Amino acid sequence: MQLSNVSFAYRRRGPSVLRDVAVRLAPGDVIEVVGANGAGKSTLLRLLAGITRPTGGSIVDRPSVVGFAPDRFPADQPFTVAGYLTHLARVRGTASWEPWCARLGLEPLLSVRLGELSKGSAHKVGLVQALMCAPGLLILDEPFAGLDVTTREALPAIIAEVRARSGIVVASDHQGGLQDVPSVRRWSVVDGRVKEGSVKEGSAEEGSAEEGSAEEGSAEEGSAEEGSVKEGSAEPAMGNCAPATVRVTLPADKADAFVARMREAGYEAER
Amino acid sequence: MIALTRFRLTAYVRSHRVYQALLPILIMLAILHSNVAPAGKEAAVLADSAALMIPFLAWAARSVLDTEPDGQRVISATSVGGPSREVAAGLLAALGANVLFAAVALAAALVIGIATPITTAVLAAGVALHLIAALTGTALGALTSRAILPSPAISIMVLILGYIVMLLVGRSSVYWLTVPVTGWMKAANDNQLVEQLPLIAGISVVWLAAAFAGYAQLRRTRP
Repeated sequence: MQLSNVSFAYRRRGPSVLRDVAVRLAPGDVIEVVGANGAGKSTLLRLLAGITRPTGGSIVDRPSVVGFAPDRFPADQPFTVAGYLTHLARVRGTASWEPWCARLGLEPLLSVRLGELSKGSAHKVGLVQALMCAPGLLILDEPFAGLDVTTREALPAIIAEVRARSGIVVASDHQGGLQDVPSVRRWSVVDGRVKEGSVKEGSAEEGSAEEGSAEEGSAEEGSAEEGSVKEGSAEPAMGNCAPATVRVTLPADKADAFVARMREAGYEAER
Repeated sequence: MIALTRFRLTAYVRSHRVYQALLPILIMLAILHSNVAPAGKEAAVLADSAALMIPFLAWAARSVLDTEPDGQRVISATSVGGPSREVAAGLLAALGANVLFAAVALAAALVIGIATPITTAVLAAGVALHLIAALTGTALGALTSRAILPSPAISIMVLILGYIVMLLVGRSSVYWLTVPVTGWMKAANDNQLVEQLPLIAGISVVWLAAAFAGYAQLRRTRP
């Protein structure tokens, strides 16, 4: 799947939300999209999913089956969990949602109306409808938000399964939930441009996939370097250098923001 | 796509929004047919029923399309294999509901609105006008749905004004600039409905095709 010079603006003469996005996604890629709120992450995910059409450029070779899990599940619908998923499975043609509900712990809630679900449970319904169709392209908008620990821990394995059958996974993430997934490509959305960031070190058997991803990184450098780095933000590259650990002391209320900013810049940070 | 159409109609019925259209329609039909039409005015009853139904059908179509939360539209579009199919499924659902409402109106006109038997040609014309009304209501409702006009106040005003403009343009010399609603009421009053139906249907089909194409085009940038 390839995006060439993709740009997007909500109005014809309005400002571009995204511009000059040129990236290639290979089967088995797992991509983490980071960026500040309002940077254009969700717009990028919608363009990738084919829901929004780009105002410029082109997107080709999108896998035919796309699963999209939104950041906020639209729970204001007159269906039970089972009724809703049955309808969407019919829309998909062939899809089986029951195993996914069992896996994500939704089984006790099948007869509950969508509107009565907790935020986390509703989010799981959104995940199930995206996963049940064996997607060739799985798009997850903030998949870890509001999830219980069990599901948070189950998600990396599910992502690995999609990858194992050559599916592409793209996830926007503020929570650092993908840190257990090996060889994740990281895209930073800054000022409407998408920059390929660091490739996280993977385990030995992931070597070949990582190589492919690293190649992508260097291929994108040309287009990404034209003023795409926000002033003051660090070059998000672990590169081939040996990692160094820095201890930073700062006020407690600033800590989360700092960690998030470091992650956005492509560094591994934890509190 | 049919599965998505069914999903949307099920949501429309289960959310009880169907009654927001059905109740005013039943009241309007009760008032319209409070007197049985005098002999010779049967075609006029059918034509008036079709014309009066349009704003109610537009309201119903808008309601069918707006039942789905915006976030679900995105899920539906990926599930069904693309935004174009999602748009088509939505229009099909709105049209499906409107054909049923129009059938209720036609049945009411035939059963309680007229007492004397009518010719097959007049009956066929009545069916055709109610079908055009269902399509016109669907188009007007779609063009004023939340995806196109997010503000409810503006959307409702555009829906009502759209219908009024259609009536006013229809009685002017440039009647062919819209679905000729006033034209078919006048033709029926003059007992010319059967003769003029091909022209009325022809003009309607052109404008309806333009309206649906316009909606599809607008939805390209409003997923």
